[in-house]
Amino acid sequence: MTRKRPVAALLFFILPFGLLFAAFYLAPIGYAIKQSLYTVERTGTFGPAREVFGGLVQYQRVFADGPFWESIGRVLLFGVVQVPVMLGLALLLALLLDSGLVKGRRFFRLAFFVPYAVPGVVAAIMWGFLYSPNLSPFTTLTSKWDLLSADLVLWAMANVVTWVFVGYNMLIIYSSLLAIPQEVYEAARLDGAGAIRTAWSIKIPLVMPAIVLTTVFSIIGTLQLLAEPQVFRTFSSAVTSTYTPNLTVYSTSSIPNFNLAAAFSVVLALATCLLSFAFLKVTQRGGDK
Amino acid sequence: MRFPMRSLGIVLTSALALTACSNGGGDDDAASTAGAASCAPSSGPVTLNYTTWIPGIEKVVKVWNDANPNIQVKVQTGPNGNGGTYQNFFNQLKAGNAPDLGHIEYDALPSFRVQDGLENLAGCSEVTAAKDQFVDWTWGQVTFGEENSVYGVPQDAGPMALFYRKDLFEKNNIPVPTTWDEYAAAAEKVKSAGGYITNFSQSDINQFAGLSWQAGGRWFANDGAKWTVNFADENTTKVANYWQGLIDKKLVSAVPPWTTEWDNAYNTSKAWTWVSAVWGANSIMSGAPDTSGKWAVAPMPQWTAGGTVAGNWGGSATAVFKGSKHPYEAAKFALWLNTSEEALTMLNSEAQLYPATKAGASLPALKQGVEFYGGQPIYDVFAQASTQVAADFVWGPTMTSTYATASDGFKGAVSGSTTLPDALKKAQDATIQNLKSQSIPVAE
Repeated sequence: MTRKRPVAALLFFILPFGLLFAAFYLAPIGYAIKQSLYTVERTGTFGPAREVFGGLVQYQRVFADGPFWESIGRVLLFGVVQVPVMLGLALLLALLLDSGLVKGRRFFRLAFFVPYAVPGVVAAIMWGFLYSPNLSPFTTLTSKWDLLSADLVLWAMANVVTWVFVGYNMLIIYSSLLAIPQEVYEAARLDGAGAIRTAWSIKIPLVMPAIVLTTVFSIIGTLQLLAEPQVFRTFSSAVTSTYTPNLTVYSTSSIPNFNLAAAFSVVLALATCLLSFAFLKVTQRGGDK
Repeated sequence: MRFPMRSLGIVLTSALALTACSNGGGDDDAASTAGAASCAPSSGPVTLNYTTWIPGIEKVVKVWNDANPNIQVKVQTGPNGNGGTYQNFFNQLKAGNAPDLGHIEYDALPSFRVQDGLENLAGCSEVTAAKDQFVDWTWGQVTFGEENSVYGVPQDAGPMALFYRKDLFEKNNIPVPTTWDEYAAAAEKVKSAGGYITNFSQSDINQFAGLSWQAGGRWFANDGAKWTVNFADENTTKVANYWQGLIDKKLVSAVPPWTTEWDNAYNTSKAWTWVSAVWGANSIMSGAPDTSGKWAVAPMPQWTAGGTVAGNWGGSATAVFKGSKHPYEAAKFALWLNTSEEALTMLNSEAQLYPATKAGASLPALKQGVEFYGGQPIYDVFAQASTQVAADFVWGPTMTSTYATASDGFKGAVSGSTTLPDALKKAQDATIQNLKSQSIPVAE
């Protein structure tokens, strides 16, 4: 290695990404944090608003907001159930594709992935119709169990999210399975391991990093749930304007109360960071043993 | 694991830096005061941007553009106000790139005014001179009942009446209700004939507001120094208890409004009436095509027998946004759009808008029988209702959130976890909270 660093070349390669990252990621976050520290003042019933520095006033409001914390609890419950189910399915499908038991592997790989190509809003509308007690093609089922009622609507949405993302997560796990060197399988076969034994003791441990990655993605996705509840709000009397944290942010910004909405967003982002980190820390400790 | 931690650090530091640099920049906006804009004509040709969701507006604007080469209007259409256009307006105002003209419903005008988003057109003598052309209460909505303030040109109105299935009422010998008591009695009979008298709107609170408006409920008051918020006055509570009663007895269905399911309920004769605004005529036509010729329109049921009070649901104004460089031309276009016979006729034929002008009620197009309603000249009923709408209903400055919280509660009432009066009380508390969080003075 030479001591002389090709600074110009480095800059040349980093700059495009750096600029876009700064413009579309750092600057908006910075602006949101700035907004969240301000509050408005006005005189009279229609006096124009003056933005003044308010310190943590907006954050006090966020922490005093019952529905917001309820919505965080709701998405956590959602995540605790939906993420393992979805990733379990994704792993199972990936293992099946990889096992050689399936004929037409290419076809199935694509077929499992297709729902991800359907835009989330379209998927939610489509499922909304399937769930509808009066319009569903399965009215015998939907009129018996109202999938849009307060008890079931969360899980009805979990089903939509699972449907959309199973294929996507499967693909990540599957590509990681393809990267396992053949020698390992040979060694396993020589030791007398069958297909199930190989899957359990070799494949799953070796794709653990991919599973951890998809879990982190899913945790982030769960906390940011927006499209599905937003669409289901029109169908279901159980979905309120503060059903998920992101929906709260959306409703607040449409008042418009940008400062409070910014504070909600910052708190939500921090909560997401915290959870993802906590998960990574826990799994990392497990891996070090 | 280290990468995210570091990036978080970067984010926080850069954010702090940004905050530090930009401190003290925020006070400039305060310089703009509530005074009326000077309304001087611009020199040379002008292009105005106009955002609305009126179907077929392009045709109307083309007529104007052909006749006014020096004031060209570029129209942009989008979803209806609460469906996303208001959010866009607020964002554009914040970013300083709002269009010159925008479509704003009366209930949203205070929200835009409180965000300092509207140009006061009281300086335009053409606008103030047009006052007498408009139905009194619509003018009250754009002036907020104040002197020297006009925050938009009234466009249309939504006087309410009773749409009902004439064929089914006749077949089952149910008299057309003229009072709310009769309406409740009819509901029982409709139920035993296998239908629902109507569908209670759980998420569009505007209908309920119109019903309260008729009953004498007044949700907001503004004395210049403070807002008063009251969703629990005697009259509103009377309306809330009435509908809660119908919900409890399962006499009304509760399909979410503005969905295919809702249309389906009307199209398959499950719902027999709808107390709605004049533009509802179009909603039924497009949503329930199989019931053509079977509907009729009667005046709204009354709280006292023989009464003549109507409610209003909807209606909008054409407003000029703050920051428009051409308020004079914008006002001129808005006046043509909302007072000239050619524009009003087109707006009615394209979008069934019901004009806010007094003369508009006698447009030839509004005198004809409508085939879908058995040939009945239905607009006569609305023309009468339009004169029966009380002029003193005031909207609050944060209706978006009021509607959202009220709707959350109404949904609960429909599914049995709360009641309409409780939902209204909760919406009132949330609204007061919301006003406070934006430093809008409000009486406790």
